[in-house]
Amino acid sequence: MKLDEAEVDAALGALSSGWLTMGPRIQAFEAAAAERLGVTHALAVSSGTAALHLACVAAGVRGGRNAVTSALAGPEAAWAPRTSGGDAVVADVSDVLVPVADVLRAAVPGTAAVIASHLTGVPADAAALRAACDARGLVLIEDVTDALGATLADGRPAGCAGHMGCFSLADGRLGGVGEGGLVVTEDDELAARVKSLRSHAMTSVTWDRHRGHADSYDIVDIGFNYRMDEPRAALATARLERLEALTKERRAAAAEIRAAVPAGVTPAWPDGLPTGAAPQAVALVASDEARRDALAAALEAHDVAAGTWPGVFADAAPIAAEARARTVLIDLGAVETAGLGAATVARVVAGA
Amino acid sequence: MTAVTGTPPSLPLFDLRVLPEDVEAVEAVYRDGRLGMGERVAAFEAAFAEQLGCRHAVALSSCTAALHLAYLAAGVGPGDEVIVPSMTFAATANAVLYCGGTPVFADIVGPHDLSVDPDHVEALVGPRTKAVAAVHFGGYAAPVERLAALCAREGLALVEDAAHAPSAQLGDRKLGTFGFAGAFSFFSNKVLPCGEGGLLATDDDTVAAHARKHRSPAAAGLNYRMDEPRAALLLSRLARLEDDIALRRVLVRRYRERLAQLDGVIVPYRDDDVELSSCYVMPIVLDEVGRQSAVRRAMRERHAIQTSLLYPAVHEFTAYRERFPGISLPRTERLARTEVTLPLFPHMTDVEQDRVLAALAEALAS
Repeated sequence: MKLDEAEVDAALGALSSGWLTMGPRIQAFEAAAAERLGVTHALAVSSGTAALHLACVAAGVRGGRNAVTSALAGPEAAWAPRTSGGDAVVADVSDVLVPVADVLRAAVPGTAAVIASHLTGVPADAAALRAACDARGLVLIEDVTDALGATLADGRPAGCAGHMGCFSLADGRLGGVGEGGLVVTEDDELAARVKSLRSHAMTSVTWDRHRGHADSYDIVDIGFNYRMDEPRAALATARLERLEALTKERRAAAAEIRAAVPAGVTPAWPDGLPTGAAPQAVALVASDEARRDALAAALEAHDVAAGTWPGVFADAAPIAAEARARTVLIDLGAVETAGLGAATVARVVAGA
Repeated sequence: MTAVTGTPPSLPLFDLRVLPEDVEAVEAVYRDGRLGMGERVAAFEAAFAEQLGCRHAVALSSCTAALHLAYLAAGVGPGDEVIVPSMTFAATANAVLYCGGTPVFADIVGPHDLSVDPDHVEALVGPRTKAVAAVHFGGYAAPVERLAALCAREGLALVEDAAHAPSAQLGDRKLGTFGFAGAFSFFSNKVLPCGEGGLLATDDDTVAAHARKHRSPAAAGLNYRMDEPRAALLLSRLARLEDDIALRRVLVRRYRERLAQLDGVIVPYRDDDVELSSCYVMPIVLDEVGRQSAVRRAMRERHAIQTSLLYPAVHEFTAYRERFPGISLPRTERLARTEVTLPLFPHMTDVEQDRVLAALAEALAS
């Protein structure tokens, strides 16, 4: 991840100020994110994991209620219904090449929320899901931990069609700041809940007390320390400025690598990625496991990390398990951090 | 909560100064562009472990995270109890609830020693007790030798909440190394600050491995990692920690000398304790209930001096009263109604300190 001067200056300016805990720069980042994403509320948190945890708590996924997740989702989304005190219903994907789960169909009695993962930055059909969730009284949580910069078919940013959208600003993600996350919502009550719970459900924060707006606090619920701090907020604000340009670069990199596949390997979403994708990774699906391992070995030999789909609870989902066994996942953030160009990776893929 | 003016203080409770060398250290990380947990986190962990004299230091996102991972490693789960002080920040108890356990609140020793009372802890130990948490209030040692012996006898885990106490000691041993695990805070107002951050210290290989595994989401859905910029800042500041604490001690001794001449004020701990304390805050205790808010308000409104209250009692918060009604801890409750925390930071000047003392004297006299 290469930061530009404006980004470095913003982060160091916050650091030099000496005010490091949630304050004016968090407020500025939240305002900038809300404006860019076209939402009423954007709340900075410590990670995408924290964002999904808080979203599940706010959605009431606890005490016997559950949330549906895709078998192929990051560990943040896979675990969130459990960390919030509820249960998870794991929905298998419908196809090895288009590894999307019908989370709505998997809803069961006791389901409070469905989590739609925009896996590797490929947008899910969140608009249709939202309409269906509203009709059934379910909360739609968009897992956009891979998908800052992605847009839905109707042009809206991914993450903004659900009741809540949960972004990650981890290192290597578009807009990444090291560790960080964001929850967006149109709903005032959900926003108030997330805002309270991210800082121990305290009725005032250090910044309020420093400015003389409060002199003590009550604690009104069992919350967490999921705060982001000021240097990360300043960096995150600066990084939003470059989001569009970086998303275009990612699309070009993904296209170059996808076009290079050798015989016996097919890129996931074989008919092409949706135009609104903000690729976080390139998924290449081999004809069988041995072919997959050979491709992975060729990449690793050139220092390109070759993983597979995340899926901590994928074992019980047969199509997801097969997809994991046959897929090589090349993380574009890791490729950038390692200083490798897409052309290099494409050459390795083509020769494998 | 009292109504307050909204006027920013000219003399704040804490004032974090970031030096050019700190900025340079962090800038190097940003220029490098590798911001996720890596070699700087490892370097900070090694340096902190060496400074503390423990085998393992695991850098985390917060002290709350450290407490959560310590309780988890101790096996705290549904049906288990953890004995915790109520005179603490809520995280000490919240983290028990994260594990599905039940916090059982113990009283403090008294206005001269704000630590958890070991006799009360001992009386609270029961068949469901799994762990005991001790807070080193303000950087002054809780009776961890006695609590460690009790825990060893009863087969319990002693978790030291050392949020206030990096580099503080009991005898010749650093706090945070007496129990099963020590939890440290690097929140921005702390002795070793980085914004948001924490650390779990332990001599136990299994506890350390558990914390390292569980700080990333694949293990249990928790992201408790620290990133590289914060580790670089901490590594830079760790080199000055002892100097910063030395400055704090000079100020605390000066506070204590002058406060001793003031009627109506109890100054907790003994003069001799300062030498081994990290001197995180300057707590005083008013000898009458009912004056705390007025004194704090007078200091703010007439003198623009920010004070704090460490702490409102955890068992008296709405969230806890709803879940655990009917708890009575007389000494903790009295302290929560009489404590005032005065400003303290390493570069505080004598003039600033005299302003605080004069304002306090005036507030007490009125």
